[in-house]
Amino acid sequence: MILLESHNVIIESTLAEKFLKPSVIDVQFVDYDGVRFHLSTPERKTQLLLSMHIRCWNELARYGATEVLQREYGQLVSSQVEPEYNVTLEIDVENVPPEGEQRDAFIRSIALLKRNALAAPFERAFSTQKTLEATPLPTDGSPAPQGEFMEIHYRDEEAIYVQASHDRVTVVFSTVFREETDRIFGKVFLQEFVDARRLPTIQNAPQVLYSSRDPPLEIRHVSGLKASDDIGYVTFVMFPRHFANPTVADSTISLIQLFRDYLHYHIKCSKAYMHSRMRYRVGEFQKVLNRAKTEVAVTERKTASGRTLVSR
Amino acid sequence: MALLAPIISDNGTGYSKIGFAGNSDPSFVFPTAIATRESPASNSRGPSLPAKPGHLATKRGIEDLDFYIGDEALANSKTYSVHYPIRHGMIDNWDHMERYWEQSIFKYLRAEPEDHYFLLTEPPLNPPENRENTAEIFFESFNIQGLYIAVQAVLALAASWSSNKVTDRTLTGTVIDSGDGVTHVIPCAEGYVIGSAIKHIPIAGRDISQFVLNLLRERGEMVTVPPEDQLRVASKVKENYSYVCQDIVKEFRKYDQDPMKYFARYDGEHSVTGRKYSIDVGYERFLAPEIFFNPEIASSDFLTPLPEIVDGVIQASPIDVRRGLYKNIVLSGGSTMFDHFGQRLKRDLKQLVDRRIEASEASSGSIIRSTGVDVNVISHKRQRYAVWFGGSLLASLPEFYSYCHTKADYEEVGPSICRRYAIFGSVN
Repeated sequence: MILLESHNVIIESTLAEKFLKPSVIDVQFVDYDGVRFHLSTPERKTQLLLSMHIRCWNELARYGATEVLQREYGQLVSSQVEPEYNVTLEIDVENVPPEGEQRDAFIRSIALLKRNALAAPFERAFSTQKTLEATPLPTDGSPAPQGEFMEIHYRDEEAIYVQASHDRVTVVFSTVFREETDRIFGKVFLQEFVDARRLPTIQNAPQVLYSSRDPPLEIRHVSGLKASDDIGYVTFVMFPRHFANPTVADSTISLIQLFRDYLHYHIKCSKAYMHSRMRYRVGEFQKVLNRAKTEVAVTERKTASGRTLVSR
Repeated sequence: MALLAPIISDNGTGYSKIGFAGNSDPSFVFPTAIATRESPASNSRGPSLPAKPGHLATKRGIEDLDFYIGDEALANSKTYSVHYPIRHGMIDNWDHMERYWEQSIFKYLRAEPEDHYFLLTEPPLNPPENRENTAEIFFESFNIQGLYIAVQAVLALAASWSSNKVTDRTLTGTVIDSGDGVTHVIPCAEGYVIGSAIKHIPIAGRDISQFVLNLLRERGEMVTVPPEDQLRVASKVKENYSYVCQDIVKEFRKYDQDPMKYFARYDGEHSVTGRKYSIDVGYERFLAPEIFFNPEIASSDFLTPLPEIVDGVIQASPIDVRRGLYKNIVLSGGSTMFDHFGQRLKRDLKQLVDRRIEASEASSGSIIRSTGVDVNVISHKRQRYAVWFGGSLLASLPEFYSYCHTKADYEEVGPSICRRYAIFGSVN
């Protein structure tokens, strides 16, 4: 598994099961970046409530998450939001599409709830870029107009910054490494992103820039940026070809949202790989040590009178 | 971020139960299996080495990421080689286990381990080195916030608190844990396992299914069932129709007098061709679980009935905890789910105990009378995943965090911090 999937497996499997056989349920689970879910049947077996708490909901709502969710889920979005949560979907089990492809697609779309909520600022940036591109550039030497600067504080100490300009969309991730080893792994990884792009086969990939400690120019003006050694900034520059048609744009959004988790997942994978090499190496060394044992010299021992001792 | 629920991961020999604390059922139950690319033969060479460094970013293989776990592992068994990293409850292959955890956290639970506390389980008599290795993986690879490793039997005891029959929440009791492979009888005193008295019984779920299959074959019911479905049908019959009777002879008579009332009918469908078949389910309904109480009906090499084993285990424990062990016998695992299993065990055990008391009274010249010994078998709704549920229960208590080893502790002391089993103390 190289890429992380963008749908939630627990939602998918639980819904599939409950649609076949409705029963009482009350579970809580999580998704990346501290997103909490609560799936329950408070009133009757056939009415499922799926609530989501996401840390940066206020920011997302400002960037149009409510409209995106309304577009994706329509009637499902409940007007009454469960306390302690931000969004509630109400699913009537008796009115789901018939079994087969249609139902699978329906379940999959619900499993993408978090992805869709987080997609709002990106979608807005993409559309802003299109309008900016259509308007002619100022000729009097004044700076080109830029879209709204969007901040999404999706974790306690980390944020995504998205800004559209007339020829591109810039996405900046700030990421914190709590662990010394992770920081080094992270550095190597992010440097690789920059280097790998020089390969001729992936020339079409978005440009990636990496800086540790100092924030890139695009976000220098943001207040409250902490300049410490354990912070890194990754900048993605996306050109119109990365969101030219809806399919490409959707997959770009799905992939870029999970960038931080992808990075941390792979740091953990490489550690696991290193550990397995270390275990193997230790095993080999132990074999060498075992071979290095001195042999016990066998000499014939005799008594004073010249008789041999025989062990029984 | 500390608000996020702790993750409970109960990795057993056959199945792993993983999920979040506070829920009543695990989110995922799948086989503890991992399917990797490497052939089993090349395993001795160690994990694959990267190719010679050449071009940047083109050089590495990603064999170490190419694997599946759980049900997907079994589905891909044709093209991958399947390994079971846990043998007899203990972790056998740490490389595979580390990757198994990696994928179960990232792909299935979709949790960032750095934000969570973890509760893991271990079998009784797990060597401290295994505990250290586990701590090393979780703290060094996954950077988790805190870790608590609990003994499965103790969690099963904690799970029994959900039963309304339990009045005092104690961690003293005898756990009968019967899964698919082996049945264990484990005495616990105040949260500590009495290792010297543990007994294993080679009768469990798989043997019961096989026994049901044999009975059905002998009666000639299986002729209509396609051979590849037979074992599955037998285990379905076991799960859905079986119960424990109080007296076999009476039960046989009941069935013979009124077969229409007691014989059930099982309808199945061939998984590939879709052909329908149906079989009559009769005596195996009460005979299947009977092999716990009269093992001679199924095997010839193991002949001691379960109540006698339980009695032996308690008699082998220190004398001052025996009363507590008799009073609180807790069932856990899927193979203890039969109806009336607890009642039958209680009755048989009570007979054994009373007979011993009578004998000792007689031999003392009938001067001193005993006050009797309380025998109590507790069965509850959460029996099937009792260990996981016990973990979920404990981890949702606010004190849980104070019993965990935190990342800071680990960095201060090192893996040896998890060497000793820290008892989840006075929770009552």
